[in-house]
Amino acid sequence: MPVLLCVGLSHKQVPIAVREQLAVSAEDLPGRLARLRGLAGVREAMLLSTCNRLEVFAVADARTCADDLLRDLGPLAAEHALTRYEDEALLHLFRVTASLDSMVVGEAQIQGQVKEAHARALEAGACGAALSRALAAALSAAKRVRTETAIARGAVSISSVAVQMAHKVLGDLSGRAVLLIGAGEMAQLAARELHAGGASELLVANRSAAVAEALAQEVGGIAVGIAELPALLERADVVLCSTAAHQPIVTRELVGRAIKARRYRALFLIDLALPRNVEPAANQLENVYVYDLDDLEGVAAQNRELRQQEVQRAEAIVLEEITAYARAKQERAAVRVLAGLRAQAQALADAEVERTLSLLGPLNERQQKSVRSMATAIVNKLLHGPTARLRGEQGGPLSDAAAELFGLQDAPDVSGDDTDRRSSPEQPQDTSRKPQADVLSLTGRK
Amino acid sequence: MATLLVHIALLAYAAAAAAYLVWLVRPRQALVSAGRTLLFAGLLLHLGSFAAAVSLSQGEGLARAGFGSDAWRGGQLFSLLAAATVAGYLALDLRYRLPVAGAFVAPVTVAVMVPAHLVHGGTRPIAPELTHSLALAVHVFSAAAGTAALALAFALSLLYLVSERQLKSKQPGRLFARLPSLELIERVGWHLSVWGFVFLSVAIATGSLVSHESSGSAFPIAPKQGFAVLAWALLAGLIQARLVAGWRGRRVALLVVAGFLLLVGTYAGLLAAPQHVSAAAAALIAPGRG
Repeated sequence: MPVLLCVGLSHKQVPIAVREQLAVSAEDLPGRLARLRGLAGVREAMLLSTCNRLEVFAVADARTCADDLLRDLGPLAAEHALTRYEDEALLHLFRVTASLDSMVVGEAQIQGQVKEAHARALEAGACGAALSRALAAALSAAKRVRTETAIARGAVSISSVAVQMAHKVLGDLSGRAVLLIGAGEMAQLAARELHAGGASELLVANRSAAVAEALAQEVGGIAVGIAELPALLERADVVLCSTAAHQPIVTRELVGRAIKARRYRALFLIDLALPRNVEPAANQLENVYVYDLDDLEGVAAQNRELRQQEVQRAEAIVLEEITAYARAKQERAAVRVLAGLRAQAQALADAEVERTLSLLGPLNERQQKSVRSMATAIVNKLLHGPTARLRGEQGGPLSDAAAELFGLQDAPDVSGDDTDRRSSPEQPQDTSRKPQADVLSLTGRK
Repeated sequence: MATLLVHIALLAYAAAAAAYLVWLVRPRQALVSAGRTLLFAGLLLHLGSFAAAVSLSQGEGLARAGFGSDAWRGGQLFSLLAAATVAGYLALDLRYRLPVAGAFVAPVTVAVMVPAHLVHGGTRPIAPELTHSLALAVHVFSAAAGTAALALAFALSLLYLVSERQLKSKQPGRLFARLPSLELIERVGWHLSVWGFVFLSVAIATGSLVSHESSGSAFPIAPKQGFAVLAWALLAGLIQARLVAGWRGRRVALLVVAGFLLLVGTYAGLLAAPQHVSAAAAALIAPGRG
């Protein structure tokens, strides 16, 4: 019976110095997938390579195929890699997709990366129905985790916290002006994010006009003179400071005058400099909000803590979804065994009826119908009890026992699933629908 | 019929309040949708109860309809205020999506509706000359609309003060992610305050007419009128300060809170001194159908 395997490593096993040596580029990916596909016993495979992990998820004929997958990753990876089998591999796939195994729990990129890896595997013809169903179920669980918990809420990096807070104070940033004072990298990053978030004007001020000009070109802003600061504070709604000045350049008095001139329109000052560029007392002014590095880090830490508090609920959702996935798989297995059993019994009965009819000699149509009905009734009555029990159990040991007892292991899959049939680019898989079941050897233990 | 409708409406409001409060703890969009739908259903039933009561009054005038059911003896005005507030909230929510305000409006609606409909008060006579008074009808509806607008402005002002405090202290709480931006709260609260002021002006003017019709005095000295005029003056000052000096933010939120509390004082004055209440007020509180 096919098994799900996961072989690979992540930020939990190795530092970035090792991961960067193992990363698989987009150009190399088709070749690597073709190699995985060519391994003996490997039915389906998907390679997930991000800055935090290199992992292969595969459906294989036996657990021993994991050794080949491990060798394929290379000696450096093999030294650190973990191998997960069946239920453990499935749980890992769900947790990775739901961003529970990420370096920053709740980050959104991993779902896109999983989808991308799946698409590349489909293109390479390495991924089939079984893996696609497991991925669809994992993505569905991830979506639930994101919508039903606060695991993805709240920014966790300094620049994104700055942008989040600007939105909290000012709402929609369209039509707003952002003033960038200084040339700090983090401030540039935040300024770009604010600009991308809808801010219509990005003003760049620096002591050196040449630097301001160059920076303005780099970030797509307008260079302005630092001497115009009082007027700029009246014009800008968000001010990002990151100069090397040793004294505050944005004083309480300056801001006080500006806020009156602004008719108390809110002003959000983000101070990313050390020593600070904005006098902290400016925060006491009405409708003025000053956030320095510690404040932003404090909010980020609080958001991280909130995310951690949601992990338990997210894990519960993942387990619920895995259970539903396993139940669906079991139900389908039971249906397959039942259909096989009934087809086998009916074929035997039909054969015996034909043999008996030929021995009895000429019978009229009504008599022949009676004999056929009798045979069908015997089959139905004999199978009634086993059918009810198999349906009640919905797969599991009885289903396996029945398959073994009646030689139904090779019974055709009535739902049309076929793990040997790898998808080709011309046969795209629908990964958006809810998972039905597959032939993975997940036992469905709760 | 009206009694049954308003009881079902109350149940819908209570269920909506529960949905919004659970949403504060468990942020599921389905809970917001459920709360919104239940509030809307409750409002329809509530308005239906008013329509049924008016049809039952058989042309005896709006005041005698009791804005609810003739089975109750007190609090119908508060029922009308609750319906107006819910309608105002749903209109705001349609435009701005403010579920966090729903978590305030829905429970307050239930808190107002329960005493309005389930606590039986005594009846008071209604002045016969007022049963068909147009001024009374305009007074009642402008007072209800103004109070609803100011109640919503009050809710948003409290929300503003909480949000502003969290942003100033750099300590966002658990609900921070569910709070709208300060700018949105401030802007919507301002619009509501202006509308509240306009309706309150109309209510005071028509109230004066009603008072003149019933008692002969256009400006009676009573707590109700005193609080109403104080609330109106405070709101007028607020609007002036905003337009002339550009006031906004925390000080405006505090003034709106104060203005609404004065308005609450108006209603408290109305209820606390029944022996002095005018016939018009008596008509509003207890239509006295038997």
